[in-house]
Formats: sequence, C-alpha cells, structure tokens
Amino acid sequence: MTREEAIDRLNELLDSTDAATVNTSMRLPHALRDAAALAVQEFGVAPSTTVMTANALRSMLEAVAMQAVLDLHYTEYPETRPSLADLAVAAAELDEHPLASQPDVIRRYAREIVERHPNASPEDVLLWADARRYREARQAKEAA
Amino acid sequence: MKQLILLDSEAVNALAHRSHPKHAKAVSQAQLIATRRTRRHEFNVAVPVSVRVEAGWDRAASEWTFANRFRIADIALDGAAVDAAARIRARTGASVTDAHLGAAIQLAAADHVTVITSDPGDMRAVASGTRIVVIPI
Repeated sequence: MTREEAIDRLNELLDSTDAATVNTSMRLPHALRDAAALAVQEFGVAPSTTVMTANALRSMLEAVAMQAVLDLHYTEYPETRPSLADLAVAAAELDEHPLASQPDVIRRYAREIVERHPNASPEDVLLWADARRYREARQAKEAA
Repeated sequence: MKQLILLDSEAVNALAHRSHPKHAKAVSQAQLIATRRTRRHEFNVAVPVSVRVEAGWDRAASEWTFANRFRIADIALDGAAVDAAARIRARTGASVTDAHLGAAIQLAAADHVTVITSDPGDMRAVASGTRIVVIPI
C-alpha cells in the first residue's frame, strides 16, 4: 500500500457512516480502564467509557491523517514546508497575538530564539516575543 | 474548547493549489492546526458548500486531491442556514457565498470561530456581531 493509498483508506474509514460495532481484543492496562470508568462516572466526560475511547481514538486518527497529508506534500514539494517563523506568524494570527499584524517582527524573534533553542515551537517564539517586548518597554520606561 | 475554522474561496484555492501565491501561508495554517490537533485541541475545518461552488472545488476532480485529503467538512445550505443567509444578504447586501459564511458563523456549534479570508471586512459584516477571529489570506 502506498502512502497515498493509506491516507485515502484512512479517510474513507473515518468518514464511514457504518454504525456497526465490533468487540476487539485490544488489551488496556487495568488502571487505565479503571481511570476511564471513574472519569465517566464521576466527571461525566462522556456517556460511557466506550464512547470516550472511540472519540479519543477518532480524534487522534484524524490528526494523524491530516499530518500524513502534509508530510506527503512536503516530501513531494519540500519548498512548501513552513519554517518556524511561518508557523509562529500563523500561531499569532490564530491566537490573536498583539504581534499578528507585524510578521517581520515575529520572524526576527524566531531567528533569535533558534540560536539558543533549536527545537523551539511557534508558541515558544511568541512567548519569547512577549518577554523581549516587556523587557524593551521596561528599559525604555527606566531610561525616561 | 471547540474551535471551528471556516475558509472562503480564496483560502480554499490557496490551500489546494501549489501555484497560488498564498499557498505557503495556507499550508502554515494547516500545519499549525494539524499540530494542535495532535495535542487534543478540538479543531474542525469546514467550508460552506456555496464557497466550494465559487472556488470550483469538485471533490471528484484530481486537481483537488490535496484539499480533499484534509478532511474539510461541507456546511450545507439548507434549513435554518438558508433563512439566516437570506437575512444577512438582505441586511448587508453581501454575496450569496459571504451570506452563507455569515450563517455558518452564526449557527456554529463551536466556542470559537475563525475565518480565513481575503475579505476581512466583509466577514466582520456578515458575522453580525458574533465574535470571530479573522485571518487575512
């Protein structure tokens, strides 16, 4: 099965409206099963442990499918892979960060943070930006 | 927190087509959503069917394979959505697709709605006071 076929089959299965259920031989740690039962009974997180398990599994599989599509795209077209700075700008827009309208500033902070933290996340860049701007504002206040 | 991401036709085309000048930006947003979904953020991405028509998105056509694989849901134009869209169009003079986007915003069963669009002003107008995050494409 090629990667494309696997993605398409995964999406097909996730889109299926077949409500038929199946007993599985999946083995869960006792403690995890008991924790799930407790969460359902005491915190009402789902109507049943079965529903909770199925929802969590679906959510994870949908995320896997989406990332697989992107990974395939990056393999075929490496130039389309976003940089940390691109992702930080996207995060600023999605989260309504005050710097969302200043992508060049975010890109500068992204370049700065990777010097010390090569594995920084987009959210790390925005936190770094906040810290830097706070420090700059404080220095300006003290100088005034 | 349930978050709904809506795309207008420009955003759809930007995501779907590598030759589109905003493809990189659309892919960055898609990557961020994918990463956050793996961290259990509840994101759903959807497109009103009228937007699909405007964008020319034929799910059976091979040039739309990349977009098809993203699990972007259709939002139908029926029932309450028709009435809501008609009211928005009558009040704002918006296009049918923008009115449909407005109806989708107003009827969304989500805590938070984000619209990726080439017309931020139009989206705020059709949102009719519903709080949204607008990401310009």
